Amino acid sequence: MLVLDNVHTYYGRIHALKGVSLSVERGEIVALIGGNGAGKTTTLLTISGLLRPKQGSITFEGQALTQHAPHQIVRLGVVHCPEGRQIFGRLSVLENLRLAAMHRRDGQAVRRDLERVYALFPVLAQRRNQAAGTLSGGEQQMLAIGRAIMSQPRLLLLDEPSLGLAPLIVESIFKVIATLRDEGVTILLVEQNAYQALQVADRAYVLETGRVILQGPARALAEDPAVKAAYLGG
Amino acid sequence: MSMFTPTYLAQQLINALNLGSLYALVAIGLTMVYGILRLINFAHGDMMTLGAYLALAGISALVLPAWAALVLPMLVIALVGVLIERLAYRPLRGAPEVAMLITSLAVSSLIQNGATMLLTAQPRPLRVPSALTQRIAFGDLSIAVMDLGIIALAAVLMVALGVFVKRTTIGIAMRACSENLRAAQLMGVDVNRVIVVAFAISAGLAGAAGVLWSSKFGLVDPFMGFVPGLKAFVAAVIGGIGSIPGAMLGGYLLGFAEVFFVAFAPPELSGYRDAFVFALLLIVLLVRPAGLLGRGEVNRA
Repeated sequence: MLVLDNVHTYYGRIHALKGVSLSVERGEIVALIGGNGAGKTTTLLTISGLLRPKQGSITFEGQALTQHAPHQIVRLGVVHCPEGRQIFGRLSVLENLRLAAMHRRDGQAVRRDLERVYALFPVLAQRRNQAAGTLSGGEQQMLAIGRAIMSQPRLLLLDEPSLGLAPLIVESIFKVIATLRDEGVTILLVEQNAYQALQVADRAYVLETGRVILQGPARALAEDPAVKAAYLGG
Repeated sequence: MSMFTPTYLAQQLINALNLGSLYALVAIGLTMVYGILRLINFAHGDMMTLGAYLALAGISALVLPAWAALVLPMLVIALVGVLIERLAYRPLRGAPEVAMLITSLAVSSLIQNGATMLLTAQPRPLRVPSALTQRIAFGDLSIAVMDLGIIALAAVLMVALGVFVKRTTIGIAMRACSENLRAAQLMGVDVNRVIVVAFAISAGLAGAAGVLWSSKFGLVDPFMGFVPGLKAFVAAVIGGIGSIPGAMLGGYLLGFAEVFFVAFAPPELSGYRDAFVFALLLIVLLVRPAGLLGRGEVNRA
């Protein structure tokens, strides 16, 4: 479904991705784990078009994503739920959700998706007219995922959905991730919380300083002594 | 003291509302464009100038009715704003903000010097239809039809803009872009489309303000937009740059401050009205650095 081949991305002069190759098959949850600055977020930003690779190719269902503007990439079905949630704090909850569906022309399906988001996260329905900036951190993460659902993802790029959240909320967020997969959404998940990520994922890639250093089935990586030592706390 | 009669006060109130309406119309456009692109558009005042020249041409050469001499320049200037964005600012997207700022200065002097070259720097009189200069008497107070028209028209335009920004999807997208441009792109928002709409509205409102300004003061010249543009910038900053309600508030506040300063300060000080305006700006910024309705810089990372 998604294939990255030898992708090099720079921030100015900083060589952030040094030839990343990876692939995601339809229906999978693939986790991207690694330490701070390993290039996980950069990889997602390069897929969604906010960063452009200097070299290498990114194809989604045979289409070269590097030819498309970020908003067109969303329309193709690649939806990026960014790190730090980045909800629009001055917009209401409902406006945030409407905005994410703005490019869609299928009004009926949009309304159905809105009901689905409200069913997944009832608190968002209660607060639909409240400014999103007044939500708690957990509620903001729910809104960020809800917003991504409104964009009708076929491939969802999820960046650090558990960051800074209480364990109970993390658990419910990961439940929703599993639900989405069951509904047919393919997911590329970036996590510092490697333990959680490897629990839910089918396969995983380990990034270090801009390179893929390990890859394989999530279960096998969770047992890998090097991964255990570096990312799972022994 | 004739200064404190109710009639005199009411007269000044009308003057203040007039000037404030015009500042507000110009300030809105500055704040909209700044909100999305972080561009201080120095060529914004020149949209007033172009609007005024178009109105002049419309009234004296084409003998258009008054409403058409307002609407037509608005539409044409909206288009001019879009063209300028396309040709001058879009190629600089992603460049440091100061590059766009300098470019806007260049666009401004191009327009000012172009107009001087083609039309001479000689101020030209703009004669509005006599129906607009008639005065209506309210007891001792008499108000020109045009003054009432300016106040009402500005109010209508601002309410319409408010509804547009609040209710329409493109309005929602506009607010989202001014909060976080990158995140808006990730939501599938076509940022270029939003920017085009923002420039069209911004320039169109400034064009309208130029028509109204030159109708009120009766003159059109290549540099007429400069000072009102600067004042509108002050208004936008006082209100909190990036905030549309802030620009409206700042515009009216500035109009009131300026008119009442001239009306009530000793006559020998009235030449310092601009100094007074900028002193007011300094005081507001000392007390509220983000402006009256500003919310400070949001994180755009």
